Amino acid sequence: MIEYLLEPFQYHYMVTAMWVCSLVGVTCAFLSAYLMLKGWSLMGDALGHSIFPGVALAYILNLPYAIGAFFAGLMAAMSMTIIKQKTKLREDTVIGLVFTSFFAVGLLITSIHPTSVNVQGIILGNILAISEEDVVQVVIISAICLLIMALKWKDFLVVFFDEAHARSIGISAATYKVIFFTLLSAATVAALQTVGACLVIALVVTPGATAYLLTDRFGKLIIISMLIGGVTSGLGVYISYFMNANPGGLIVVIQTVIFLAAFLFAPKHGLLGARRTIRAQKEIIHG
Amino acid sequence: MDNILQFITEPLAHEFMQRALLMSLLIACVCSIFSCFLVLKGWSLMGDAVSHAVLPGIALAFVAGIPLTVGAFVAGLFCAVSTGYLKENSRVKEDAVMGIIFSGMFALGLVLLTHIETDVHLLHVLFGNILGISTEDLVSAGIIAILTSLIMFIKRKDLMLFCFDPSYASVVGLPVKFLHFGMLILLSLTIVASLQAAGIILVIAMLIAPGAIGFLLSKSFDRMMMIALGVSVFSCVGGTITSYHLDAATAPLIVVIQAVLFLMAMLAQRFIRISPKSSAAT
Repeated sequence: MIEYLLEPFQYHYMVTAMWVCSLVGVTCAFLSAYLMLKGWSLMGDALGHSIFPGVALAYILNLPYAIGAFFAGLMAAMSMTIIKQKTKLREDTVIGLVFTSFFAVGLLITSIHPTSVNVQGIILGNILAISEEDVVQVVIISAICLLIMALKWKDFLVVFFDEAHARSIGISAATYKVIFFTLLSAATVAALQTVGACLVIALVVTPGATAYLLTDRFGKLIIISMLIGGVTSGLGVYISYFMNANPGGLIVVIQTVIFLAAFLFAPKHGLLGARRTIRAQKEIIHG
Repeated sequence: MDNILQFITEPLAHEFMQRALLMSLLIACVCSIFSCFLVLKGWSLMGDAVSHAVLPGIALAFVAGIPLTVGAFVAGLFCAVSTGYLKENSRVKEDAVMGIIFSGMFALGLVLLTHIETDVHLLHVLFGNILGISTEDLVSAGIIAILTSLIMFIKRKDLMLFCFDPSYASVVGLPVKFLHFGMLILLSLTIVASLQAAGIILVIAMLIAPGAIGFLLSKSFDRMMMIALGVSVFSCVGGTITSYHLDAATAPLIVVIQAVLFLMAMLAQRFIRISPKSSAAT
C-alpha cells in the first residue's frame, strides 16, 4: 500500500512537476490575496489569455517563451488602458474585448504555422513534460515575485487599500501598481506552464478568496492563501498520477472544493457559521 | 471584378463551406443582438464565465447519453445561478466568485474529459469546428438562434429598460427577477448554439465586440443594434470566406476582423458628431 502511494516519487518528472507546481501555486496565491480584495480578479483571466500570441510567436522565433508572453501581456494591458481612456465603454467590456482579440490573434498565428507551436500545451498546461530551461525560468520568476512581495507586502497593502495614507507617507501608488501588474504578468507566465491559459485565473483568485473566508487579518490571510496554493498544487499533480487525468484541472478542482468547504463551514464567515451567529444573537435579544 | 466574384464564389462550391457560412450567419445574428444588451448591462464577463462553465456539462451529458447541448445548457445556467447565490451569501466580491466558479467548473470538465473516454474532441469544444458541422448541429443551432433572436427582438424594450436601470424597471412594474433569469437562460442558449462554430473562448468575443462597436457609433439603441448586426454579419461572412483562401482557422479570423473593425470604429468615433436630439436612447 505504502509502496503504491510512494510510486510517483520514483519518477524524476513527477517529482519535478510536483515541486514546480507548488512553487508556482505559492507565488500566485501570494498575489491572489491582493487581486481578490481589490476586485481585479478577472484581470488574472484576461492576462492568462492575452499572453497566448506572445507565446506562439516566441515558439516560432525560437525565443524563450517568457519574453514573448511578457511583451504580449504588456501590450494587452496598454491597449486596455488606451481603449478605456478613449471610449465610454465599461471596464468589463474593454477587458473582454482585448483579451479575446489577443487570444484570437494567437490562434490565428498557430493555425497558419501549425507545426511549431504546441497549442494544447499552452491551453492546458504541460507540466509533466516541462523542459529543464522552462523549470529554470519558472524558478527565477517565482523567486523574484516572492522576494519582492515578501519585502514589500505591507507597502502594497497600504497602497491598494488606503491610497490617501500611502500618499501622505510618500509612497507612489502608480509605481506600486505598475510593479504589481508586472509581477502578476510574470506569475501568469509561470502559471501557464502548470495549469494552462484557461485556468490561470483559479490560481490567482481562489486561494486568496478561500483565505478571506477564514481570517480577518491580512498577514494571516497571505499565509493561509500561500499554504492552500502550495499544497493543492503539489497534491493535484500527485493525484493526477493515479487518476490519469490532466494535472492542471485537478489542481483547480481541489482548490474549488476547498473554497466551497470554507464557504459552508468557515467558523465566522461561512454559511453555517454566519447562521449560527445570527441565531445566537436572536437568542440573546429574546432572552 | 471577376476576381472578386471568384474570391467569394469559389469557397461556396464546397458543401462544408456552405454549411459553415450558414452557421456563421446564424450565430452572427443572435450574438450581435445579445451583445448590445450585455454591453449595456455590464455583463460582458458573464459570457466569459458561462461559456467556460459548459465544459463539465458536455462531458457528463456524454456519459449520461443525453444530447450534449442539453448538458452544456444546464451547466452554463448552473454557473450563472450559483455565482449569484455565493455572492449573496458570502463576503467575497462578485468578480472573484465568478472566477472561482467558472474556473472550477472548467477544470472539472477538463478532468472528466481526460479521465473518461469520450469522442468529444476537446480542442473542437475549445476552439470550435465550423468546417465540420453536421446537418443536425446546423438545425439545432438554427432553432436555438432563431428562437432566442425572436424573443430578444420582441422583448427588447423590456430588456433594454432592465439593462439600463433595473430599479426603475421594477418601479414601473416589470418582473425584474423574471427578466434577470430570462436573460441568463437566453445567454446560456446563445452560447450553446455558438459553441460548435466559435468554441468556448471565442464566443466571448462574438458576444462583446459587435455591441461595443455599435455603442461607439450610435446613441440610439435600435441603431446600435443595427450596426452591431451589420458588423457581425460582415465579419462572419468575410472571415469564413477569407479563411478558406488563407488556409487559416475560421473562428479566430472572424474575431480578428471584429477587433480591426472595433479599432476603426474607435478612430471614426471622433469624426461622428451625434447631436443631442438624436440621443433618444429610451
